[in-house]
Amino acid sequence: MSAIDRLRAQAEAVFARHGVPAPRLEHWKYTDIRRVVAPFIDHASPAASAEQGGVPNPLRDLDAYRVTFVDGRLVDGDTLPDGVRVRSLAAVLAEARGEEASRLLAVDERAPLFNGLVALNAARACDGLVIDVADGVCVQKPLYVLHWGAVGAAHPRHWIRLGRHAELTLIEHYLSDQEQAGLTNGVTRLELGAGAHARHVRLQQEARRRVHIGRLEARQARASSLVSHSIALGGAWSRVDIACTLADEAARCRLDGLYLLAGRQHADHHTEIEHGAPFGVSREMYRGVLDGRARAVFNGRIVVREGAVKTDSAQRNANLLLSDRAEVDTKPELEIYNDDVQCAHGATVGQLDAQQLFYLRARGLSEEQARQLLTFAFADEVLAGIKPPEVRRYVERAAFGKLPQAGDIASMLQQAGGAA
Amino acid sequence: MLKIENLHVRVEDKDILKGINLEVRAGEVHAIMGPNGSGKSTLSNVIAGRPGYTVTEGRILYQGRDLLRLTPEERVWEGIFLAFQYPVEIPGVNNTYLLKAGVNARRRHQGLPELDAMDFMRLVREKAKLVELDPSFLARGVNEGFSGGEKKRNEIFQMAVLEPTLALLDETDSGLDIDALRIVAHGVNQLRSPERAMVLVTHYQRLLDYIEPDVVHVLADGRILKTGDAALAKELETRGYDWVRKEAGI
Ligand SMILES: Nc1ncnc2c1ncn2[C@@H]1O[C@H](COP(=O)(O)OP(=O)(O)OP(=O)(O)O)[C@@H](O)[C@H]1O
Ligand SMILES: [Mg+2]
Repeated sequence: MSAIDRLRAQAEAVFARHGVPAPRLEHWKYTDIRRVVAPFIDHASPAASAEQGGVPNPLRDLDAYRVTFVDGRLVDGDTLPDGVRVRSLAAVLAEARGEEASRLLAVDERAPLFNGLVALNAARACDGLVIDVADGVCVQKPLYVLHWGAVGAAHPRHWIRLGRHAELTLIEHYLSDQEQAGLTNGVTRLELGAGAHARHVRLQQEARRRVHIGRLEARQARASSLVSHSIALGGAWSRVDIACTLADEAARCRLDGLYLLAGRQHADHHTEIEHGAPFGVSREMYRGVLDGRARAVFNGRIVVREGAVKTDSAQRNANLLLSDRAEVDTKPELEIYNDDVQCAHGATVGQLDAQQLFYLRARGLSEEQARQLLTFAFADEVLAGIKPPEVRRYVERAAFGKLPQAGDIASMLQQAGGAA
Repeated sequence: MLKIENLHVRVEDKDILKGINLEVRAGEVHAIMGPNGSGKSTLSNVIAGRPGYTVTEGRILYQGRDLLRLTPEERVWEGIFLAFQYPVEIPGVNNTYLLKAGVNARRRHQGLPELDAMDFMRLVREKAKLVELDPSFLARGVNEGFSGGEKKRNEIFQMAVLEPTLALLDETDSGLDIDALRIVAHGVNQLRSPERAMVLVTHYQRLLDYIEPDVVHVLADGRILKTGDAALAKELETRGYDWVRKEAGI
């Protein structure tokens, strides 16, 4: 048995032991995906559908390095500049052994937010990106990774290392065939060297029959910074776990997210930030807009270790319910083991503000326009932080474009400046 | 222009206005004074169409039409403007672009062509100058982080841009420093014309030193207890409201 086969078998065994997470687990109590995921568990990934018929090509105006995955397999990719080593996971695993194999495939059951699906990804991932950005290299253009789900299950697995003071923006865009049911179960790991800076955008716009499971793990060295945006617009069920460890002094992370749900969509975000060293800064802003019978869960856990003095952490989760049948469960979890910290957190669930609505109408907006404008403005506060601006505009259009007066309304937003 | 007949208004099972009669003609400026909680804002809000108020009796005619049948935005399009006692902050919504949407919605309603970005910006700059509003406020979110006085000045700026036919100013003078008061009064006086009317809700004679009212009303306990000319406001300033109540037998 090769090292790879052994690791795969181990992961498969861990998955067998844990299974698909069930609601008896505290972090899964609102999210029972066992039934919807079951059809995709035993069924091996289909052979690479070499033809790329039907794969869309969105965000064409974005100047980026592009990589395309279909059902979890790399099918196409640009060459990145010097100082950035990009390999496909499939290629690396074909020849990896020993330490590198175990770096890429080992399963750590003690990892924050660990669950059976994390092991399943390690067992089944057939491809992904293995990226090393050399010290001091700032990748000027974003790396845009399109994940197209044609049919069945995909388990993409990306392992990314940024050297000291390196910079990279990674945009993961998840889209899928409207007609097909399917499962995405992806894991992305970021290791940030000292002073490195990473931006990560997850734009989840999968079809309404698909289940999206996404995990972002980040480990941050001294004075590194991470900005993450998780945007959940699509999918029948979506679950995003983000585990961020500020392992050394003065590391900073900003985790922002927006879920915009309707019908019977369900979106779940669990974040865990571990402050493991002094002078760490974490900021979190998650917002949700729910219509119909949509359901959302936000759980933000912050752990401040004993030695992590002068930690500065703030977390906010705000939810706007447009329908009285929509539901949100929101919960901060703070675990603080030293006194010398500043931790603020707050969660709200509410409707549009009647005073603001009247004010807008008293300035001549129709009621419908006023409602849409307030909804946009609420959501846009999260989107305003997305870079580059082409991506932000794309997300704004994706989020609001279906509304009848989208153009007029976007023009009134503070930062989009669509009109000016 | 505005005719209020025997208006009774209830808020959450509480009768607030108990038979208001008021007529405002084109070209006139009326001041409404009265103790806290007497119903002045209620009256302004009902005219502007704020939800949450139940009219249990009486009616309001505006330019001969039943005003209470119109939505708040239709009232704006028909030329009514309310400067709020407590302007609301709306983060994320741009002050100027909101105003542009409002102006153009009204112009569409009037069958006029919409103003393009250039014409609108010219109008906005001119009016900002009129009320000495720092242009940096134009780029900000609606009232976002404005001081109390800045919010009031922004209300007057919006009024100047929207050029209403009937303006209701609910305590626009409260919280203004002396310079701001002069500037706001200047903005109001600029708008005075034979075709327009204004209703100023105020607690202080000070504003009326700058904007001479044609008619002054005392609103107390949900009724207009006394109506007079500018001299009445001066009398109220020195004597308070008790004598008005006594005179009215309350
Ligand atoms: N939404 C509401 N629910 C309950 N009571 C209300 C509501 N709105 C107004 N009121 C009551 O109606 C009365 C009149 O209020 P209003 O705001 O009209 O007074 P005002 O004359 O404008 O007072 P001020 O000079 O303090 O601005 C007050 O007693 C107030 O508490
Ligand atoms: Mg009042």
